[in-house]
Amino acid sequence: MKVARLNGELADPAAPAWGGAEAVSITLGPVPIGAQPTAYIREAWAGRSYGTTGAATLAAASDGERLYLRLEWPDGATPNGEFQDAVAAMFPAGGDAPVATMGDHDRPVELWFWENGRGPLRLTSRGPGVVRKEAADGVAARGDLAGGRWSVVLSGPKPAAGKPVGVAVWDGSNDERAGLAAVSQEWLQLELA
Amino acid sequence: MTTTEAKTRQLAWVYDLNKCIGCQTCSVACKVLWTRDEGEKHQWWMSVNTMPGLGTPKGWEDMGGGFDPETGKPRPGHQPTRGEFGGGFDYNYQEVFYGGTAGKAHLEPQGPREGRWAMNWDEDQGAGEWPNSYYFYLPRQCNHCSNPVCMSACATGALSRTNDGLVLRDEEVCMGDRFCMEACPYKKIYFNYDRHVAQQCIGCFPRIEAGVAPACVRQCPGRAVFIGDLEDEESSVHKLVKTWKVAMPLKAEAGTGPNVYYVPPLSPHRLNDDMSIDTETPRIPPEYLESLFGPGVHGALNVLKGEMETVRAGGASEILTTLIAYKWQELLGPFTVDPATLDRSNGGA
Repeated sequence: MKVARLNGELADPAAPAWGGAEAVSITLGPVPIGAQPTAYIREAWAGRSYGTTGAATLAAASDGERLYLRLEWPDGATPNGEFQDAVAAMFPAGGDAPVATMGDHDRPVELWFWENGRGPLRLTSRGPGVVRKEAADGVAARGDLAGGRWSVVLSGPKPAAGKPVGVAVWDGSNDERAGLAAVSQEWLQLELA
Repeated sequence: MTTTEAKTRQLAWVYDLNKCIGCQTCSVACKVLWTRDEGEKHQWWMSVNTMPGLGTPKGWEDMGGGFDPETGKPRPGHQPTRGEFGGGFDYNYQEVFYGGTAGKAHLEPQGPREGRWAMNWDEDQGAGEWPNSYYFYLPRQCNHCSNPVCMSACATGALSRTNDGLVLRDEEVCMGDRFCMEACPYKKIYFNYDRHVAQQCIGCFPRIEAGVAPACVRQCPGRAVFIGDLEDEESSVHKLVKTWKVAMPLKAEAGTGPNVYYVPPLSPHRLNDDMSIDTETPRIPPEYLESLFGPGVHGALNVLKGEMETVRAGGASEILTTLIAYKWQELLGPFTVDPATLDRSNGGA
């Protein structure tokens, strides 16, 4: 998809400027139970449904300096107060990293991660939930909940060239966290203008 | 980080439930030392509950976790909620102390009364019908298991075992996913909602490294808790657990290899309807004790009764002498350094 060159408050998911960006629907699916990293998670979640968010809408824009990714998806049930809704943009960080398992041991992915009530994080993921915190490196995020839909803008330094992007969404009201996510089933190529 | 380092000793605690008076000095000693920072108000890494009881978190005995005894696989567990731990209340200090309400307002936790719970909420309720009601105190902390299901459940490898056999968490690596809390059969891991990490007893490892016993042990006024190296055959903990078999772990069937042991409580005699004494029936149902401490509890109680008979008849008992702990420092194992003597010029423990 094309990264629109826009001016305006792109860090704000409600900014009018976003009206000028192409938006695509990304189909999401649960990270396979067999790919979950520990026996406990595989046993405890084998019979529970997770990764229940079916799709998210992605728009991409740049002001020349930074890359902004605006993600929108329907909010789940009433929060249980323990886990929060969250979203991440994923980029391959080594080789042909698999997107549907959030990378693997040898082929990590980079995550720009936002969670409701928690500051943005930049993470390296080597499999579902197998993440390490990294220096923020200019990654920022802002989220809004309105009309039963989350809209979140994740942003970071604009890459030198186009690159593939993936999406992960966690429904906190369903205790989703770590590898218990709904993720893109394939990479989507970002084309810089 | 999931590697297990070469272990040189296995620290173990032994709580004598016949001496624990439920005073919570261990709980408070731990609290003031370790959980006074942000997000830790509701955390009690050490706590004492009245048994039988719902304890902390509320209903923890029915929250699953650990390993399935038949398949050896991890058993799904419930992740205890903020409400089930309870506590961490905010009080109306301003109103009571500065509000000009003398004689009218009293200190009271704020927020809804409905469903309120806290670390020691059901203190001294116990069970049974008068005149045969019964209870005992059960101090609980992280069991620093030899087969820690928390460690194996963690997706990020935040937990590891030290050379002392303590299970510690790297808070930089912890992502706050809380699979450890689900998997722990003892429900003795807390979540810090402010810092977004899970936290639990650290075995006072900075004190251990300085030769000082953990705060729960050193501060116990009842001389009710021992610490030492379970693998040292000369240690009190080894003798109580392995040699004399008068101490056993809590819910060992969960398969995590806990390293906290308990000398089970002896019972007062039952009273008959006519208030005569029934010397044959213990007031605490033996099957209840077995549900907590396993089948070995009956033998342990018989050993204790036998030793008491021996002493009553004028004999000597090394077991009772050990448990009585005439010399306070015997409780501390090799960790006898007085913390007041430590050099704190660099802000040490």
